[in-house]
Amino acid sequence: MKQNKQDTIIATRNISRAYTMGNMQVTALNHVTINIRRGEFAAIMGKSGSGKSTLLHQLGLLDTPTEGEIIIDGAEISGLSESEQTIFRLKKFGYVFQEYAILPELTALENVYLPAMALGLSQDECVTKGMDALEKVGLAERSDHRPREMSGGEQQRVAIARALINKPKILFADEPTANLDSISSKQILELFRALNQDTGQTILMVTHELEDADLVDRVIWLADGKVMEREE
Amino acid sequence: MTPITTELKVSAFLAYKFIVKGNRGTSALTILIMALAFVNLMFTTSVFDGMGDATEKQVIDTLYSNIVIEPKDDEVYIKNPDAVVKKIINVPGVIGTSAQYVTGATIAYEEKSGAWSIRAVDPDDEQTVSLVPDMMITGEYLSKYDRGEIIIGKEIAGGQGGSLEHISLGGVVVGDTVEVTFTNGVKREYRVKGIFDTNFIQSNQMAYITKKEIESVLGIHDMASQILVKTDTKGEEDRFLNQFVELGVHEDIKPWTVYAGIVATLTQSFNVLNTLTGAIGFFVAGVTIFIVIYVSTVSKRRQMGILRAIGIKESIIIRSYVFQAVFFAVCGCIAGLAIMFVILVPYFTKHPMVFPMGDVTLLIEQKAAIMRSAGLIISAAIAGLLPSWRAARETILDAIWGD
Repeated sequence: MKQNKQDTIIATRNISRAYTMGNMQVTALNHVTINIRRGEFAAIMGKSGSGKSTLLHQLGLLDTPTEGEIIIDGAEISGLSESEQTIFRLKKFGYVFQEYAILPELTALENVYLPAMALGLSQDECVTKGMDALEKVGLAERSDHRPREMSGGEQQRVAIARALINKPKILFADEPTANLDSISSKQILELFRALNQDTGQTILMVTHELEDADLVDRVIWLADGKVMEREE
Repeated sequence: MTPITTELKVSAFLAYKFIVKGNRGTSALTILIMALAFVNLMFTTSVFDGMGDATEKQVIDTLYSNIVIEPKDDEVYIKNPDAVVKKIINVPGVIGTSAQYVTGATIAYEEKSGAWSIRAVDPDDEQTVSLVPDMMITGEYLSKYDRGEIIIGKEIAGGQGGSLEHISLGGVVVGDTVEVTFTNGVKREYRVKGIFDTNFIQSNQMAYITKKEIESVLGIHDMASQILVKTDTKGEEDRFLNQFVELGVHEDIKPWTVYAGIVATLTQSFNVLNTLTGAIGFFVAGVTIFIVIYVSTVSKRRQMGILRAIGIKESIIIRSYVFQAVFFAVCGCIAGLAIMFVILVPYFTKHPMVFPMGDVTLLIEQKAAIMRSAGLIISAAIAGLLPSWRAARETILDAIWGD
């Protein structure tokens, strides 16, 4: 059930991000303007230090650009307060990080339904939705296991299930396969591809693996904080 | 569910999981330290309360009973004390009265002598207001018609291991004769009929003779220096005072507390010490919790960043740490109370501490336990709040990827 890909879900206008390091000003992003369409599976690629993670952090509301504007799902988000950003992230975004960023004290199911619980869902709803999400990533039978009892690939799939629990508008993935072996990496990328194709999930992924480019709809190339791809 | 209920639920869920599935050794050690901090807070208070309670008991049981009726300011004696007793004896809650004379006297034995207070009582009445008759260590208590006999406290007698041996009579025993010189100059010889020990240095410096005896010395009759009144409860003296006034008692009526200056002095001193030790105790407990939560937030810094990144509010994360701190404090209080009631109180009941006011055991007042528990829990909550608040204020990127 692929959705209309012409509808823009992320639009940036000249966003820049500069950091002050000692007496030096380092520009990580330099007037970046991009559009991501709803239902698109896009990759941000570039050399180390090109600014790809920095761009993902700006779009994912984990950081604030020093200039420019970001429009997500029709809303200009630079004016949001910190707590509004938190709610925005909870309701509209899903994140998968490079490291298996799940809580060691929680079972797979608990890790997955935590964002749903924070949204105010009942325990029964949390469990039902959590199991559905685990089902999607093929880990329903491992729901009671804790992270230390799971492989790296399984932990990353738990993190994906957690990212999907609140039916996010956008799934951000920051080098999700960097710490995985080739088989697990392939499984994760196929999972992303399937999610995108089957449910129309918008996915924006940072990766440095060139072969990943074959799996995505589009690659946004970055170099020295600038977009190399020509936007249509 | 309202947003705040949701937040509380998630905070409690995270706190519960961190405690139950976290490092149990750390949790157990933290609770143990909290328990010891609580015992530290409660122990000195319990000793002080025990000393205060022992002193109060001694003052009531061996010196002044619950209420003292004295002559009006301009008079030396209460005239016709029986009439006063008649007015109050049927008041519900009054269980005994003893009209008595109190006088100073010099008591001498062989080469030694000293000035002490002598009470002249009706022995039968005295048994209803005082425990001194039950505290004879040698000899017997007075009988109603005794003449020429005296009972004395162990600090007067000497030779009984008292604290004031150097000013005692140096070892008087039952059957010895002592010479008593009253304030009006009358000298009498009395046979020591008994020696008592109340464990209270003040009442152990008293001597007793019968009313009949003193009336013959003073040449007066049917009077009293004071009437001691025993009631069935402590702490309701003011109610009795009002009732006595309503019944037409015009003498000076005072509760035992007026005479218990030593208790007031002790209480004041103890309160200062209690406040000081309490403040230090709360501080130590607070610092302990602070360190535990601080270490926890440092080790979970990245985890906190990830939680915030996926949309878990800062307030939920901070509260989860405060809940953990409060949990440790509550468990510490419960464990501390268990140590107090199961180990320390039984031990000190069996082996009481010896003080001038008598044997002192630990007294755990409900109010003190509640106050200190609340204080410890509040200290822990603040100590849990500070490091988690500080950690949660860090930017998400610094928390996840910072040095």
